[in-house]
Amino acid sequence: MEPEIKGLSKRDRTAFFWVLLLVFLIALPAFIFYSSGYRLSFDDDNTTIVTTGGIYITTENLDVEVYLDEERVERPRLFRSAYYIQNIENGLHRLVVQKPGLHTWVKLIPVDSYIVTEASAFNMPELPYIRPIAPLRTAAGVGVYFSNATTTEYFPNATTTGNFIISNRMNRASLVRSDEFEYVEALFASSSATSTSIINRLEEEIEDRFRFATSTGGDVATTTITYIEQGNMRLVPRGDELHARWIGSGGATPYYFCTPQVSSSTIALRLGEHFADQVEEQRLSTTTPLHVENNRLCRTEIRLDRKWQKIKYYEFFPNSSDLVVLQLEDGLYVTEIDDRAWQNTQLIYKGDDFETIVTDNNIYIKQNERYFELLTIIPEAN
Amino acid sequence: MEEQDQSHLLPYARRADFKVGRATELTGKDRRLYRFLEIVPGALSWTILIGMILASIYAPFFAAYFIIAFAIYWVLKTIFLSYHVRYNWKRLRHHMKLDWQVLARRFDYDHFYHLVIFPYYNEPVEVLEGAIKGLIDSKYDPKKMIVVLAAEERAGETAAAQGRAMQEKYAAHFGHLLVTVHPANTSGELAGKGSNTHHALHRVHTEVIAKYNIPHKDIITSIFDVDTVIYPDYFNCLVWHFLTAENPYKSAFQPVPLFNNNLWEAPALSRVMAMSSTFWQMIMQERPEKSATFSSHSVSYQALYEIGYGQANVVSEDSRIYWNLLIANNGVFEVIPLSYPISMDATIAPTFWGTIVNIYKQHRRWTYGVENWCYITYHFIKNKKIPLGKRWSIAALQGEGYSSLVTNPILLFILGWAPIFLGTREFHETVLSYELPIMVRNLLIIAMGGLVVSAIISLSLTPPRPDGHNRFRYVVMVAQWIMVPVTMIVFSALPGLDAQTRLMFGRYMGFWVTPKRVNKASV
Repeated sequence: MEPEIKGLSKRDRTAFFWVLLLVFLIALPAFIFYSSGYRLSFDDDNTTIVTTGGIYITTENLDVEVYLDEERVERPRLFRSAYYIQNIENGLHRLVVQKPGLHTWVKLIPVDSYIVTEASAFNMPELPYIRPIAPLRTAAGVGVYFSNATTTEYFPNATTTGNFIISNRMNRASLVRSDEFEYVEALFASSSATSTSIINRLEEEIEDRFRFATSTGGDVATTTITYIEQGNMRLVPRGDELHARWIGSGGATPYYFCTPQVSSSTIALRLGEHFADQVEEQRLSTTTPLHVENNRLCRTEIRLDRKWQKIKYYEFFPNSSDLVVLQLEDGLYVTEIDDRAWQNTQLIYKGDDFETIVTDNNIYIKQNERYFELLTIIPEAN
Repeated sequence: MEEQDQSHLLPYARRADFKVGRATELTGKDRRLYRFLEIVPGALSWTILIGMILASIYAPFFAAYFIIAFAIYWVLKTIFLSYHVRYNWKRLRHHMKLDWQVLARRFDYDHFYHLVIFPYYNEPVEVLEGAIKGLIDSKYDPKKMIVVLAAEERAGETAAAQGRAMQEKYAAHFGHLLVTVHPANTSGELAGKGSNTHHALHRVHTEVIAKYNIPHKDIITSIFDVDTVIYPDYFNCLVWHFLTAENPYKSAFQPVPLFNNNLWEAPALSRVMAMSSTFWQMIMQERPEKSATFSSHSVSYQALYEIGYGQANVVSEDSRIYWNLLIANNGVFEVIPLSYPISMDATIAPTFWGTIVNIYKQHRRWTYGVENWCYITYHFIKNKKIPLGKRWSIAALQGEGYSSLVTNPILLFILGWAPIFLGTREFHETVLSYELPIMVRNLLIIAMGGLVVSAIISLSLTPPRPDGHNRFRYVVMVAQWIMVPVTMIVFSALPGLDAQTRLMFGRYMGFWVTPKRVNKASV
């Protein structure tokens, strides 16, 4: 055998280099066009280049199914709570997020070429799940109610979960007061003492229009208005209505406040008559003016859907600035602020004889002097 | 130690600035020029990295297009380099099967001597002995070898004593076995392998070559790291290449360094880095226009004599010697790849963290080779006898190499995502913003296909499994390649950036000696 003293020949290497360079020159524009939204269309036996956009949708619930124009969207492999749907042609597209046992979220989304339209879906349980908070508990932490009733009789409006027993045979001496019960009880007590009724808040809002907390010194009282805010979103009651107002900096306004700068009729077609009306309303308003952001018209406020009922209580949904909990005359609802096409409003607890408190992480209900937490995610065991 | 008589030196090697190590050794305009060149690599790398961040903030569309282009380039570059590795791997395996002794016998080479220099510091005596035994066990007559064990005075008396013990034990095997002790704190020198070798060459010249009147042209010098264990046919392979080279006295001979002496003892991280370094050298074997000498290598004594034995004031002496030779010979000097292996140690330490630190420091020292770019560019400006095209192409290729070493991994694996995090809202709403991470991820997955080639080749270069090591280790040795994106950043880009930044600010590095441990496994 002879040594192979010659390495790769310059000719071969150069040829290989030029081949790869050619591949690069062909691949680069193809990849750039593709990543910008251009696609080849083979419809009608004609190969044409079409422009596409996309939808990026996040879901509160991980195990839901997503449908775009009645077609199931594949579950993403990496991030289960977000779907990026690509290759969508211009126009309105119907997005459905559903799962048996949960309310269905539906929205008509306008998609534009090169642009990804965002949406955030939520699916609350159709039937309420509650976790009772008993006043007494055993040493092992099991809540105890004294009654001869069954669980269904004791909590007729919901499915219960958590550790508790209903019995008349327990030895009271062996039980201790529940810290959580005391906390929730105090929460409702202080809420009753200091709660701001919608009328009070309306009054405050009227004052707010003429300016803020005024301190004139001396013996004149200072008026401090407490707004419900989450992040840069504020809930503003006005009349019977409740509005969500963006109070953050320009440039970071949530996508659903904004629309491309098109005619009013086009806005109505894309996002609904109510959207177009509100844009026109705010175009003329001095208190809630429209502003232009990244070439889009952005509203300052969005009116929340109260289903033609009176609002008895409102608060942001725990850990969210996009969802609001509304207690209306016939029950407790979660509604989204996003009003493109319409607002999805989902009933989470039915009835007109309970009180609600939403804290940072929980929704508590007081009904018939019983306290419980309303669960918005169906417990695993169920 | 610098010779007074310069008559034997090539004309360009007689220049006062020929052996410049850093800007501070020059004066006036030359100093300013050299200092500027020292700033360029670091400034360029930082400009690219910061520029990418700024582009992501202020021009995210441009940044995104650039990243897509860069990811495609990376895939093609991986294919290009894998093609070279695979070819060299075939050549390497072919050369390892040959009987080089038979091939060398076609020529008359009995008059040749191999001068083998082992500069060492405080390595265990077993390492020293292993290197000497490798020479004795080779298929080459040790009587035709002049071996120099080059100790360092600053390592203490033990180092010199070990050398002398080896001399006593093994001198009879060789034509000559000399122990030299490089004095500590010699003015104008940078303590390290380069200055030690430089000193050893002077000593061997006086005490052996001149004394026994051995013709310079009959000596082939091999400067080996002390952990180098040669394969049996190394010197036959070397002498064959020397005798068949078009211009052997204007050539350096570069073997493929396999960092596999202790591969079974080394952690996965160390193995990946060791093999990656081997692969890089295999690629270089097929790209002579980018090549320079690296680590253990060989060159004619005559060539070294003509340049005064290289430099004693640099960190990356192994490559610098080649650049000295190229520039002094007005561009007429080349690296001849042997495509034949030598074995060296993978970097390890008693603890995992120690191994990480040692690998980092070793690679920082290697990547400080960027000082050579300043040197060659400076002399390319000065030495007009080197063809202009050659000057430009070498400076550009070397510059690109040092720049891409630092910037490419960071651009790909970190800053590739910058437009997504730093881009404007207008950008975030586009299909491009959403497609960018998907596209880059997919392209990188394709590029990772090159790792499959790496895994297969690395297994073939792994020494036989010693007793006490589970077969499962082979699976780990394949799976370890998944760490490459991390190792590229932590052990290539960051030490490279560290080295370039130090040079940029004039905080010159010294020579860091990679600690060696006793090898439990041998080749």
